[in-house]
Amino acid sequence: MVLRSPLYETQVKLGATFTQFAGFEMPIYYSSIREEHMAVRKKVGLFDVTHMSNVWISGPDAEKLISLTTVEDASRIEDGKGQYTEILRKNGTIIDDTIFMHLGDRFMMIPNAGMNQIVTSWLTEQAKNHQLKATVEDVSREYVILAIQGPKAKETLQKVTKTDLSTVKFFGCQMVTVAGVECILSYTGYTGELGFELQITPTKKAAGVFDAILSAGTEFGIQPIGLGARDTLRLEKAFMLAGNEFEGGRTPLEATLGWTIFWDHEFIGKEALLKQKEQGTYQRMTYLQCIEKGIPRHHCEIQKDGAPVGIVTSGTLSPCLNVGIAMGYVAADKREAGSLLDIMIREKPVKAKVIKPPFVPKDWAQKQQETPL
Amino acid sequence: MAHEVREDLKYTKTHEWVKLTGNKAKIGLTDHAQHELTDIVFVELPSVGKEINKGEELCVVESVKSVSEVYAPVSGKITTVNTKLDDSPEIINSSPYDNGWLVEIEIKDTAEVNMLLDAAAYKKM
Repeated sequence: MVLRSPLYETQVKLGATFTQFAGFEMPIYYSSIREEHMAVRKKVGLFDVTHMSNVWISGPDAEKLISLTTVEDASRIEDGKGQYTEILRKNGTIIDDTIFMHLGDRFMMIPNAGMNQIVTSWLTEQAKNHQLKATVEDVSREYVILAIQGPKAKETLQKVTKTDLSTVKFFGCQMVTVAGVECILSYTGYTGELGFELQITPTKKAAGVFDAILSAGTEFGIQPIGLGARDTLRLEKAFMLAGNEFEGGRTPLEATLGWTIFWDHEFIGKEALLKQKEQGTYQRMTYLQCIEKGIPRHHCEIQKDGAPVGIVTSGTLSPCLNVGIAMGYVAADKREAGSLLDIMIREKPVKAKVIKPPFVPKDWAQKQQETPL
Repeated sequence: MAHEVREDLKYTKTHEWVKLTGNKAKIGLTDHAQHELTDIVFVELPSVGKEINKGEELCVVESVKSVSEVYAPVSGKITTVNTKLDDSPEIINSSPYDNGWLVEIEIKDTAEVNMLLDAAAYKKM
């Protein structure tokens, strides 16, 4: 069965071209990937990301359950704050990366598209195994998720809410009313630009919110954005896409997500990570920018002097830089910043330089010459 | 089909077009194909002089999101390639039937051209 967003009719009316992703039929683009990409970097874009999941975690031990099942110590995350983290298997590999939000006496977790049942069962099972009084409820189909991203995101959203958005801090979350509909607002996103995400229930109220935001953003040049630009936007910022970057089982250490690990608490997978850390020889996430013509893609081999040293997990042509960019796993001793590697594209080597992420720095567009789209 | 289909061209089911002048066949992608691909950012053209058989991979066209192979609609020798595409692959999007052509082939067998779809048949797809 193919799922559609409750905003499907709206998407069709806006002229979307659709693709299938993680069991959903979602817009891949409305006008063009490149145009939508630049709209988010320079102005503002509106995304429907309902394919992402929603899971409520409640009960007296909700916080303990999150601490047990993620690399985060959830007691650190006060009410009204969100956090990016990963859920691990016992062997330390990542089941999913997610954001959870502390909202009063419960938490909302946003697992990736198609991960709702896996995450819900895993958390429920761990609660049972560790005698924790916590309830885990998959409410993914009860929510529409919108993302408003870009330098004009705040000005756009401010026009349709009375909440002073300048009081919302990075990764802050709270209940707000947008276009007359109560929703969960968070200062989060997947584009590296200023932006917010909204969780809206019941879903029948979402079309009104979507339309109101689109109207409010007209004066700033807002555009609806599909999954195509969502992918190129996140790649330029070196953000992980679970289905690509964690494919086949990767640990947070391999994914260079060590900064998200709070070692001073007990969590599933910790023992395996400590062992891996001590051993130290694992492949690590590496960022490559092509210095020759070519566009790296998922599964391209990475070589050094003709010998395989790694694999590309995501690659594209960067719309901002107009060169091929890639992220992938490379042997620990072959990934020093500035060094050159070959990415094999259709059996031919394309030279690429190891860079420090992100590919496109913060406020890239503002630093460019003011050029109209 | 909502996109432009030109009456004077022949077509394949895989959305290539062929324009026959004498024994030379100019080949490109249809308006429908460029729309489906969106934002063409890279074209890997074959070498001039290469012999190619109908159905073989002629060149590779990449959009931001995808890699697509273009197949030779007819057999023959490649006589010219559109080198403008090296620096400006996006002209396939803006001018699929004129400036955005891909290659020219000196064809072996004109009967192969007759087996292609005419505009009316292609429109019906």
